[in-house]
Amino acid sequence: MPEVSKMKKPDVKLVLLGDMNVGKTSLLHRYTERKFKDTISTVGGAFFLKQWGPYNISIWDTAGREQFHGLGSMYCRGAAAVILTYDVTNWQSLAELEERFLSLTDTANHNCIYALVGNKADLTDPKAQLPQDSDPSKDQTECGVERTDTQVLSACPTPPASPASLSGITLQKQVTPEDAMALYGRILRYKGLDEKSSLPAEKMCFETSAKTGYNVDDLFEALFDLVLPSILRNRNESQQSPTVDLEECRGAGNKRAKSGCC
Amino acid sequence: MERDNHQVGETEGVKICDPPCESNPPADTLATSLSLLGNHMFPDPVERNYRSTVKEEPEDSLSDITAEEESLDGDPHPHQVTKLETEETESSGCQNNVSTQQLDIENEDAATDNDRSDSGEFVVTMLAKAKLEEQGIGVKGRSSPLLEAETQEPPAFMSHRDEDVTADSWRQHRKHVFVLSEAGKPIYSRYGSEEALSSTMGVMMALVSFVQSGDNIIRSIYSDGHTVVFLQKGPLVLVCVSSSRQTEQQLRGELLYVYYQIISMLTQASISRIFEHKKNYDLRRLLAGSEKILDGLLNLVDSDPSFLLAAVHCLPIASSLRDALSQILQKAITPNLVFSILIANNQLLTIVQEKTVIEDSRLEPADVHLLLNLIGASSAFQAGEIWTPICLPLFNPDCYFYAYISYLDPPECTVCLLLLSTDKEAFYAVAECKRKIEEAMMAQNSLSLIAKVQSYSVSQVGVSDLRHFMYKPFDVPDNYRQLTQFTSPEMEAPYSSEEEKMRLLDLYRYMHSRIHSSSRPLKLIYHVAERETLLAWVTSKFELYTCFSPLVTKACAITAITKLLRWIKKEEDRLFIRNPPKYSTTPNPSKSSRGGKSDQQDSTDNGFLSLL
Repeated sequence: MPEVSKMKKPDVKLVLLGDMNVGKTSLLHRYTERKFKDTISTVGGAFFLKQWGPYNISIWDTAGREQFHGLGSMYCRGAAAVILTYDVTNWQSLAELEERFLSLTDTANHNCIYALVGNKADLTDPKAQLPQDSDPSKDQTECGVERTDTQVLSACPTPPASPASLSGITLQKQVTPEDAMALYGRILRYKGLDEKSSLPAEKMCFETSAKTGYNVDDLFEALFDLVLPSILRNRNESQQSPTVDLEECRGAGNKRAKSGCC
Repeated sequence: MERDNHQVGETEGVKICDPPCESNPPADTLATSLSLLGNHMFPDPVERNYRSTVKEEPEDSLSDITAEEESLDGDPHPHQVTKLETEETESSGCQNNVSTQQLDIENEDAATDNDRSDSGEFVVTMLAKAKLEEQGIGVKGRSSPLLEAETQEPPAFMSHRDEDVTADSWRQHRKHVFVLSEAGKPIYSRYGSEEALSSTMGVMMALVSFVQSGDNIIRSIYSDGHTVVFLQKGPLVLVCVSSSRQTEQQLRGELLYVYYQIISMLTQASISRIFEHKKNYDLRRLLAGSEKILDGLLNLVDSDPSFLLAAVHCLPIASSLRDALSQILQKAITPNLVFSILIANNQLLTIVQEKTVIEDSRLEPADVHLLLNLIGASSAFQAGEIWTPICLPLFNPDCYFYAYISYLDPPECTVCLLLLSTDKEAFYAVAECKRKIEEAMMAQNSLSLIAKVQSYSVSQVGVSDLRHFMYKPFDVPDNYRQLTQFTSPEMEAPYSSEEEKMRLLDLYRYMHSRIHSSSRPLKLIYHVAERETLLAWVTSKFELYTCFSPLVTKACAITAITKLLRWIKKEEDRLFIRNPPKYSTTPNPSKSSRGGKSDQQDSTDNGFLSLL
C-alpha cells in the first residue's frame, strides 16, 4: 500500500473554498496529478493528504454547492490556509466568496492565511493559455495541439463545467486582479487583521488556469512555504504533548454545534 | 357499469363520445392544457378522436375485483400473450388510419356520488373540447406520430442537458422524468434544460392543480403510445412520460426513487421548510450539481432489476471470505458509527450495522440503492476520502448521516468502503477506522481475493435451456429483518447486447406487473414470448423469474425450476449475505437522547445531527 495508508498525522490543513464550477477540484487535480480532466460536482468534501518534503499537508477540497453549505465550517476548523477560489469570467463567483464563504472561515486558525485565486485565466488571458506543466511527459503534447488549434480559430476552449462552454468564444474577463485585491483587503478587515502586518495582497492574489497549469504550482508551493511556520509550530507542540491528537478530536466533538442546515 | 368500463378500458379504452353542449370555463383551461401537453409530448395528426376512460373509484375499491390465483396445474393464461399481440396490431392499424388517443384519467377521492358522475361527464367534456381547442392552437414542429415502441437514442456526444426540446429526438426518448415544485417551477428534467421546458412543466402543474381544485388527485394519463404518471410528494410534483410498456404502478415506483434521491440530498424536513417559507423557491439552487446523480439513478432504474425487485444484489463470494471481511469491519469502530459497508464493482460485499440503532429497523433496499448510486455517480475523482452528509429517506427522511467514502484499491477504484456516522465532526475518527480496515485487509490479502470474485454464469446451475433468472427470497424467521436481497447470474448471450438486455428486462417487467397487478395478481405465469419462454412464480417464500429458450414446455420449465431452487439452496451461503454481524458503538453521552424504542417519534429535524 502507498504510504498514505500508514496513519500519518497531517501537519497542517488547507481548505479550498469557492462557488460551484469555479474549478476547485480541477486545481487540486492539476497540482496533484498534473492533469486536467473532466470532473463532476464534488459531493460534500474530499480529503487529500499531500506529501510535501518531510511534511504531510492535508487538503480539503470542498463542494461549492449551496446544498453542502452547512459543512463548510467543519472543513475549515483549524485550517492554516484557506484558498478562496473564484472564476475570472464570472463576477458573481467573486461576490459569493464574500457573501457565502467568508463566514465559514470563522472556525479557521486565528493566524490562518488567505489566498484569493481567480481560476480559468486561460479563457481571458493569452499568456495563461500556454501549457505550463513543468512535467512535459504526459499531456503537454496533447495540450499543445489543442491550443494551437484554438489559437488559429481564435476561440477559447473552456472547461466543460462552465456554462460558457456552449458559446465557444473568448470570454470577457469579469474580475480584474484589482477587484480581487480589494476583496483581500476587506477580508483582512473582516478578520480584524492589520493590513500592514499581514501578507500583502499582491502576494496572496493569484490568477491560475487548472486547464493549462498556469500558476497552479506557484500557488500551492507559495502557500506551503507560507504555512511552514504553522507546520513547525504544530510539530513542536505535538512533541511537547503527545496527546494533542486526542485533544483535538475531543475538542472538535464538544464544539459540535446544533447548527441548523441550509 | 363503471367497473366494466374500467376493465375493458385496460385493454382497449372505451369510447365515450357524448358531444358536450354546456360550456364550462374551467374545462377550457384543462382542455387547453391537455392539448398543449399533448402537442408537446406526443404530436399527432390533426384529426384526433379522443376515447377516454375515467376511473372514478378510489383505488382501494379496485381490489374488490376477484384476484385470480393460478396454481401450478391451472391454465396459466396463455391468452395473455395473444392479447398483447392483438394490441400491437391494433395500434399499428391506428397508425395508418385514424390515429386515436385514449386518455384515461384516474381520479382519487371523489367526494360524493354526484360529484363522481359530474367529474366523469366533465372529463369527457373537456377531452372532447381538447380536440376542438387543439385545432386553434398552432404548434410548431408537428411530426409523425410517435407510435413505435422502439425509439432511437440521441447521439451520445451531446449532453442531455443541452438537447433541443423541440426536436423529434427529444420526444422519442423512452422515458422522460420531470420534477417541479407546486408553484410550477422546474426543478429537474431528465432530457433538455429545465428552462427550455418551463412552459411544458407549467402545463403539467396546471393539470395537477386543476384536478386538485375538484378535490381529486391526478394519477395518470394514458395515450396511444405513452403513459403519463403523476406523483405528488409534499411540495414536489414528479411526472413521468413513458413509452415503455411499464405499468403505472412500476412507473410510480420509479418516480418514488427519484423523490427519495432528492430527499437523500436535502432531507424531507428541509424541503418542506424551504417551501413553507417561500412558495416559489427555485430548488435548483440547492440541487445544482446533483443532476448527474439523478441522471445516473434513472439510468440504473432502467438497466438494473434491483429497483424493480426492491432488493439488493450482493456479490457472490465464499462465505468464509465474506465472514472474514465482516469481522474486519466489525472490529474497526468508533463512537457514533452506525453502518459499515464494503462494495466491489458497485455490488455489496458485506454490510455491518450498529446494534442499538438498527434494533427494530433494518436497512431498506431502496436506501442501499441510493447509496450505491451516489457512489457510482460521484466517483470521478477517486483519490480522496469523501465526507458528505446523506439522508437515508426510508430510515429517517428528516435527518442526515455523514458518509465517509473511500476506495481501498487506488488507482483501479473498484473496492469501496462506505462508513456512516451520525456525527458530523467524526471524519478523522472514521478515517482512522478506514486505516484499521485497510491494514487488516492487507494482512489477510483480502483485496486480491476480492479482485478474483466474479458474478456467476447461469451454466453453473447445470440446467439446460435456462438462460437467466432472478430469485428473491422473502424473510423467513431464520434471517428475519435482514436486508432484502436477490440473486441473478450475469446476462449472457443472447442477452449480451444492450438492446437485448433491455428487451429481457422489459419482459421481466411485464411478468412483474402481472404478478403484482393491483386488480388481478397472479401467482404463476408461463409466458411464451417471441424469442424466449418465461416463467414467473411467487410463493410465500420467494419470488422467482426465469427465462428459458423458446421451445421449453411448461412441464420442462417446472422441472428446471425445481432443479434451480435446489441449486440456490445449496449455494445460499455464497449467493447471499447471511447473518451479518453487528457491533456496538457506545453512543456519545453528550447526545444520548436516544432513549430506546420511542426514538422514531421524536426525531427532531434540526438539519444535521440527531439521527434518532
